Amino acid sequence: MAIRIVTDTLADITGDLAAQLGVTVVPLYVRFGEEVYRDRVDITSEDFYRRLVNEPKLPSTTQPTPNDFAEVYKKLSQETDEILVIVVSSKLSGTFQSATQAKDYFKGKARIEIVDSLTVAMAEGLIVVAAAKAVKEGASLEKVAEMARKASSRSHLIAYFDTLKYLAKGGRIGKAKEFLGSMLSVKQILTVKDGEMAPLTRVRSMRAGLDYLYSVVASHQNNIEGLAVEHTTNPEDADVLVERLGAIYPKARILRSIISPVIGTYSGPNAMAVTILEAEKK
Amino acid sequence: MNKTSTIAGQALRDMFSAATTWLEKSSADIDALNVFPVPDGDTGTNMMLTMRSTMEEAYRAPDNSASGVARAMAKGALMGARGNSGVILSQIWRGMAQGLDGKESFNTAEMAEALKKSAEVAYKGVSNPVEGTMLTVMKDAAKEAQAQVEKGEEDIIALLEAVVTAAGDSVARTPRLLKVLKDAGVVDAGGQGIYTILEGALRFLKGETELMRLRKPQIIVSDLPLTVPLPQAIGVDEIPFGYCTEFLIKGEKMDSEVIRKRMEKKGESLIVVGDESAVRIHIHTLDPGTVVQFATKLGTLHQVSIRNMDEQHQDFLEMQKERMPTTDTAVIVVASGDGLIDVFGSLGAAAVIPGGQTMNPSTKDILQAVQSVPSENVIILPNNKNIILTAGQVQSLTEKKIKVVPTKTIPQGVVALLAFDYEADFKANAEIMEKALSSVKTIEVTKSVRATRINGLQIKRRQPIGLLDDELIAAGDTDMDVINKILAKINMKQAEVVTIYYGAEVEVEEAEQISASITDKYPKVQVELIKGNQPHYSYILSIE
Repeated sequence: MAIRIVTDTLADITGDLAAQLGVTVVPLYVRFGEEVYRDRVDITSEDFYRRLVNEPKLPSTTQPTPNDFAEVYKKLSQETDEILVIVVSSKLSGTFQSATQAKDYFKGKARIEIVDSLTVAMAEGLIVVAAAKAVKEGASLEKVAEMARKASSRSHLIAYFDTLKYLAKGGRIGKAKEFLGSMLSVKQILTVKDGEMAPLTRVRSMRAGLDYLYSVVASHQNNIEGLAVEHTTNPEDADVLVERLGAIYPKARILRSIISPVIGTYSGPNAMAVTILEAEKK
Repeated sequence: MNKTSTIAGQALRDMFSAATTWLEKSSADIDALNVFPVPDGDTGTNMMLTMRSTMEEAYRAPDNSASGVARAMAKGALMGARGNSGVILSQIWRGMAQGLDGKESFNTAEMAEALKKSAEVAYKGVSNPVEGTMLTVMKDAAKEAQAQVEKGEEDIIALLEAVVTAAGDSVARTPRLLKVLKDAGVVDAGGQGIYTILEGALRFLKGETELMRLRKPQIIVSDLPLTVPLPQAIGVDEIPFGYCTEFLIKGEKMDSEVIRKRMEKKGESLIVVGDESAVRIHIHTLDPGTVVQFATKLGTLHQVSIRNMDEQHQDFLEMQKERMPTTDTAVIVVASGDGLIDVFGSLGAAAVIPGGQTMNPSTKDILQAVQSVPSENVIILPNNKNIILTAGQVQSLTEKKIKVVPTKTIPQGVVALLAFDYEADFKANAEIMEKALSSVKTIEVTKSVRATRINGLQIKRRQPIGLLDDELIAAGDTDMDVINKILAKINMKQAEVVTIYYGAEVEVEEAEQISASITDKYPKVQVELIKGNQPHYSYILSIE
């Protein structure tokens, strides 16, 4: 029986890709006031961003419950006896916690390995993609889990934030708080370092931001195993970037995704991200 | 007072039902505390929702035994756990259920045992327990219960009273254990939630249901003052700090507000928290004697602590050292005008050396700034062509590593500072910053000090003149005239952001007019107006 892979919605692996990889995606929750939605299940990214911009009160988010994971474990254990769970950085969300606790409550026989990706968005997603590939090639549960844990240091997220308002308000700003308080209107380029948000640099316009994102990818040229471009409310900007990146990486292999509502709660509108999975050193 | 020596399932359910309602009242306040640890949404709301689910299940318990109800609660908590805090809370109920397993009712000793189990299970549930969170609060609460039992306490209300006080003290201590809380000047939100639940249960047992309807739970105030990071070395002068004086007054019918008013003039950083039977005081005073004397009239004093803050201050300085830099490179800049200085400060400059046109700082001034920053690697942005050489001299006078990025104007200094890359090393950063200089054009508008003829321009004394990237290329009747002439020479199709820093002698209305006229002419450009307050230059424009 093949190993089954479970991840969370923050990996930004959406419908088609998830189906193609055979990955089960557990949703986090996003809440507007009293209304609770399952990330990407009860609310589409498009709807979410529309409300994010228009509603006076900011939404909030919560991790899946242990029970949510236990249910998935139970269901999958009817088809397999080995489950690999890859989740968002434990420093950004308690999802790892829930996934781990669910293991205690789960009474089935399947062996479960849980990997803290120490990153988020498609940087997490690219690890899932790599793991799915390793599973297909017949690697053992231990091998795949080890590969996924190691892949974390090869997986880079470079994000363009139009504003830090949402990130600061949501309490996940981490070391990027050094960028708060600027008297000039600036746009921030952030990354994930040691599992939490960290500052990279600042620019004054989206175009300069795209230049920066491009230059980071260019600096990894010929050393890229996976590449993804994600947007929130601005697909046109992502199109421009993908077009440019086509010069250094096959365009058809660049994964596209929309940043999930739960991450969007912190990134705000007009945010973008490129994620790079560096090729493994031989 | 009547003694309550045992509690059965019915009362267990009722007391935590009341506690849930009590928690609900302050969930928004608790949300506001949210900074840590793994921030997952709103701690107050999450705990409240978890408690709701906990109690709903409690009413579905198969029987009215303490064991049955506790088990149902644990189940409800697990099913409805929301957020990190909710998950930990569910562990607490799980532990409680284990502690009460098989019991029809429980006495103080059994309750203490159950609380201990709760804390243990809660710790176990977390892969990486962090102190200064709700775990600590739960542990301290359980410890106090144990202490009360050892003392022979048989009254559950009295035991819970002590437990609640201990939990409150523990919450107040969370910022001592967790730097992020201290930095944010708040107590741990989850800890506050635990305290509120325990307090709600206690109030219910004490029969204060009416009061619970009218009042709202109190948020514990951090017993540490909020410290703002200071850019410059502090503590050079000997400032008397006095004594940090803390104690708890136990009495009857005390009024925190009245006590606060009486204490206000006796010192600084006063915090008075508590209710009518126990009030906690924290104050920085030069004369702890009179404070304590006053307090003894109100009740009995407990946990009295008087510490010399000059000694504490040394520790504080040590702490400051380790908290500041996240990179090992500091950037220092030369600028004058408090507006410009603030701009550089807000963008992360480690120090600003006053100076600029007509008042070039000396090598010694720059050296001093270099020595004052905690980093070994220092990048200097002179922001003036006449200061670049002076800045270059500093390297021979210090053991620190120095790089001068030759910025000739304020806008160049700003783009260089913005381009700073947190992941790049010292040398790479100096290169990145220098490379960024080409992305900006600078317009400076000032008044000619004398009549002259230069670059084909006939210039009268006091006439507005304009420089583009340090080169005099325009003269005009007004500042606006000069700015327009220069903008006409720049390829504005490439421009995205124009920042206008207006000088000390410029009226804001005039600056706004110029800003509006640029927006009119170049509608695609984003124009930002900043009060730079710089001397000599009425306007400095950055075109990126």
